[in-house]
Amino acid sequence: MMAAVTCLTRALRSLTLSQHALLSSQAGAQTKLGAQVSSIAVQVRGFLTTAALSQNRTHWKQIEKYTVRPIGMKKTGGRDHSGRIRTHGIGGGHKQRYRMIDFQRLRYEADREVKPFDEKVVQVRYDPCRSADIALVAGGNRKRWIIATENMQAGDIIKTSGVIGRMAVSANEGDAYPLGALPVGTLVNNLEIQPGKGSEYIRAAGTSGVLLRKVNGTAIVQLPSKQQVQVLETCMVTVGRVSNIDHNKRIIGKAGRNRWLGIRPSSGLWQRKGGWAGRKIKPLPRMKNYVNLPSISA
Amino acid sequence: MVSSLTAHCVNTMGSSFIRVVFRKDVNRLSAHGGDRLNFSTSRCVAAKVPPARKPRERVEIPGLEMVTYGERMHYVPGLAKPVSPQWERDYKDPRHYRAPPLHNVPLYKEQPCYVYNQRTSALEGVRQALWLSKAKLISGLPPQLLSLAENPANQITDQDERVKNAIKHARFWDTTEERPGKQKYSNALLLNLLHLCATLQDRKPAFRKRTLVEKYSLAATLKRGEDLFQIRGQNGLLLNCMDPLPEVAGKKEVSDTVDHVLESFYPISPTIDLQKVHVYKEELNCLGFRDDYPYRHAHTLFFLEGADESCKLRPEQLRAKMVMFTFGNALARAHKLYGVQTQHMLDRPITVQAVGTNGRIFQFMVFQLNTTDLSGDDGIKNQVWLDEDVELYDFAKVRPLIKKKQVKVPAGLAGYKPESFNKFLALYLHGAV
Repeated sequence: MMAAVTCLTRALRSLTLSQHALLSSQAGAQTKLGAQVSSIAVQVRGFLTTAALSQNRTHWKQIEKYTVRPIGMKKTGGRDHSGRIRTHGIGGGHKQRYRMIDFQRLRYEADREVKPFDEKVVQVRYDPCRSADIALVAGGNRKRWIIATENMQAGDIIKTSGVIGRMAVSANEGDAYPLGALPVGTLVNNLEIQPGKGSEYIRAAGTSGVLLRKVNGTAIVQLPSKQQVQVLETCMVTVGRVSNIDHNKRIIGKAGRNRWLGIRPSSGLWQRKGGWAGRKIKPLPRMKNYVNLPSISA
Repeated sequence: MVSSLTAHCVNTMGSSFIRVVFRKDVNRLSAHGGDRLNFSTSRCVAAKVPPARKPRERVEIPGLEMVTYGERMHYVPGLAKPVSPQWERDYKDPRHYRAPPLHNVPLYKEQPCYVYNQRTSALEGVRQALWLSKAKLISGLPPQLLSLAENPANQITDQDERVKNAIKHARFWDTTEERPGKQKYSNALLLNLLHLCATLQDRKPAFRKRTLVEKYSLAATLKRGEDLFQIRGQNGLLLNCMDPLPEVAGKKEVSDTVDHVLESFYPISPTIDLQKVHVYKEELNCLGFRDDYPYRHAHTLFFLEGADESCKLRPEQLRAKMVMFTFGNALARAHKLYGVQTQHMLDRPITVQAVGTNGRIFQFMVFQLNTTDLSGDDGIKNQVWLDEDVELYDFAKVRPLIKKKQVKVPAGLAGYKPESFNKFLALYLHGAV
């Protein structure tokens, strides 16, 4: 056995002596690293037993320019950069194209003034990458995709404003205002935690948060999980419930439909029930504060 | 056995089999499997690859000189990496040409220009095209044109039979495969219909003053409000004529258009979907032909839906493209005749026609340019007569459509409409009768 291995390594050594072969990005990255820190390097011969790891490159995610056209996605199957499964139960499913959604609603166009603007809804359609529907809106010279609200239809005009007036605005569904401009008790979605960052909360189908109260410069919103959050009142939010409200009432019906969605079967082994199983009845967690306010004690 | 070479970094650019491993990683490898050395799995699968670090940012402080290890000819920790000056080729090599930055290009201008080209698909469709060309839309072709084709003296012998044969040739007979592709049959159908119309040549001597032209470049500049627009493109098919087309609307109708208000589509701006360029030639007006070309007046433009594979235009967008390019032709002609200054009302309005098709459904259009004063939204408007979605036939099936053992649509040509060809003939005859 050892003789066979030595023969193999001798054969491979002769192969590698010739320098002209394909340039692999891995080797390129490695040599770049090597050039930076020139420590003592060691040659290791190895051969691939899986597909080339350059297949994992997420170049499709690194596009900087915003475009309305859908982008071809590469499925990872739950594998991370090393090639091993990090999340089980993901894989297969219908091919999907990613449509770049603009979560920062209050984004002014390049040459326009900083003032409230209108946009027209051109099309509301299904998005394979999320549970909610998305809407193509056009205003001025640009078109962008946003998360559609419940009663949004093609031809609607929606307003986006960053101004907080003294009186609360009577908001229509689909409009986006800062929290300080809305009356208490409105249903909101696409909540921004830090102003200007883009919405990260309340984006799933049919969800909505409630604006509970406004306290000097901040606003308290109840998220769909009944957790309360305190944010600055300049954070943007859209009014209404997210579209596709019957999403939680759908019935999958068969295992095949789950596979079409890219969900692989879970392990059939019996798992010992620990603290994770069963219904939990706990008090609500404390209100999370995303505002760096000076404490009252100081 | 892992053979180790204690050397500097080995240049492994060419080899896909060698992986450069640092000594600490080798120790990690052996620690992973205990004392056993892993022969079967390769390093690239077993070990976690750290993500590539970004190279350190080089900060230039003016006034301070960087001390580099360049003179010492070897790396010294603590000294900066020497940067060699950018090498510029002193001869011209067309294969390695780098364009200068945008601001240094000779034709660069501060004010952007919005270009409507062949691949533009206007979001608002015909409304946007009408606003851009300052035109009033009248649905349906003008009645005097329709009466041209009704006249039996102007009709072709065995017209219906020959048109049906033309359609069958384009849809069924023009291929060795089962059925010809859409692009092929729409092109063949258009050429067949044009050939049929041209067979009237013996009766109409004016047809001898016409010619078909393909792939000519058009350019027209216009100014709407504060924005500059250009219509540029390489058109498909054009019927050229030695004499200009007669005007369709009289002076009274033209002056009536002053009352018409252009439709606005707020909040969308009219420049949406147009290509914004900073590098352009000002006052570019080119008809695609030299000045001494005998057939100088554009008669009819023909647009095929499947001409460009990269952009698929919906019917609304195709109509918008028709409006814009007929307007571009008329405007370039007006600029050539009357100069670049804006004319409030042209003495002889310029008329251009257009036909667009996808192989079955036709769009007919007549554009009359009354004014080149496009800066404001008021005043005399141009006119567009548009007949949309005219079907030439219902079905042209190779295999019959059978549902529940009953033939719903028979094979062959079904539902031929002779009125559509009459309209096509009328547009062709206009100007010759």
